[in-house]
Amino acid sequence: MTHAVLIVDDDQFIRKLIATTLEDVAEFELHEAADGMDALEVARQTRPSLVFLDVDMPRLNGIETCRQLRQDDLTAGATIVMLTAAHGDHVESDAEQAGADLFLTKPFSPLDLLRLVDQHGERQAR
Amino acid sequence: MAVQSEIGLIDELVRLRAELRRREREAADKELQLQRYAADLRETFKQERARAQELRRSYMATVRALSNAVEARDAYTGKHAERVAAYGLELARKFPEELILTPELEFGFLLHDVGKVAIPDAILYKPGALDDDERALMSRHPVIGSEIVQGIEFLAEAADVVRSHHEKWDGTGYPDRLAAEDIPLAARVFAVADVLDALTTDRPYRPACSLRYARAMITSESGKHFDPRVVEVFNTIDDHVFERIAAEIR
Repeated sequence: MTHAVLIVDDDQFIRKLIATTLEDVAEFELHEAADGMDALEVARQTRPSLVFLDVDMPRLNGIETCRQLRQDDLTAGATIVMLTAAHGDHVESDAEQAGADLFLTKPFSPLDLLRLVDQHGERQAR
Repeated sequence: MAVQSEIGLIDELVRLRAELRRREREAADKELQLQRYAADLRETFKQERARAQELRRSYMATVRALSNAVEARDAYTGKHAERVAAYGLELARKFPEELILTPELEFGFLLHDVGKVAIPDAILYKPGALDDDERALMSRHPVIGSEIVQGIEFLAEAADVVRSHHEKWDGTGYPDRLAAEDIPLAARVFAVADVLDALTTDRPYRPACSLRYARAMITSESGKHFDPRVVEVFNTIDDHVFERIAAEIR
């Protein structure tokens, strides 16, 4: 069974990097969004089981996007991975309060990214 | 008017400078991110290389264990397989265009007699001559052996030597009565190494022959039992190469 994965970052480079890393790793259907507003719309259409969410984005930031994803029944069940910068202090606690499940610190390790996706896959299988 | 445009210019400069700084930061972030990818790639490669080495070592250990198990039944041959493998590799080295010195080649040399596991003790240890039925069964050991190794992926390439090491250049060997170039080169090379070791080690019915005598015997079988080209190459290798191997593996 294929899972939809949504990659949200205003930096096209990061989106491309994550998408390329996850290509062919599992039966994923990869979707991208460039900001929070886009993300909410794409998430409602594609019902992702996994969302990578950047914090700093124009229009709607990652924390607020996370909160709104959790409030919508269509998208509330997704595993949300916040992409945080190493020096963002209280971002993690804000994100946790907003309902984020996991964190990936930029610059992120592709191996950590793959491990995280594997763990997510195992949780889904259970 | 002039002042106004000067202020506008300064504003524009400040804006451009901030934009430049933002782009520099972005570029630096991208670089860090790519460095992270490169570091992971290097690490993954190192781990994979270490694992591949470990795998090769355990393949070799498995093959040695198997070849020792086969030889353990054959009390008098000692470390025949290991010596033959070493002789065979020395010969194979002289055919750089045609034979690549892979572990698989060595596996074939070490396991040439693996098919003997299927031969009953009564035949394997029979002191006198074998009757026709016994000889027929005995001569199936290359076939049985090649079937055994073919079933194991990392040994599949060894099958040529295992199956064809008793073929003879003139077509009078077994099990397939192959002749000349139809016999895989690795098996032709091995046949010389095998006989060399058989002649130069003690047997219950005779003491070991000298290397000189063994060379003469092998040379006299050139074009009959052995590939003339392999015999020629064999005679270009110094005595001390074989003597060193015989002294090291005993």
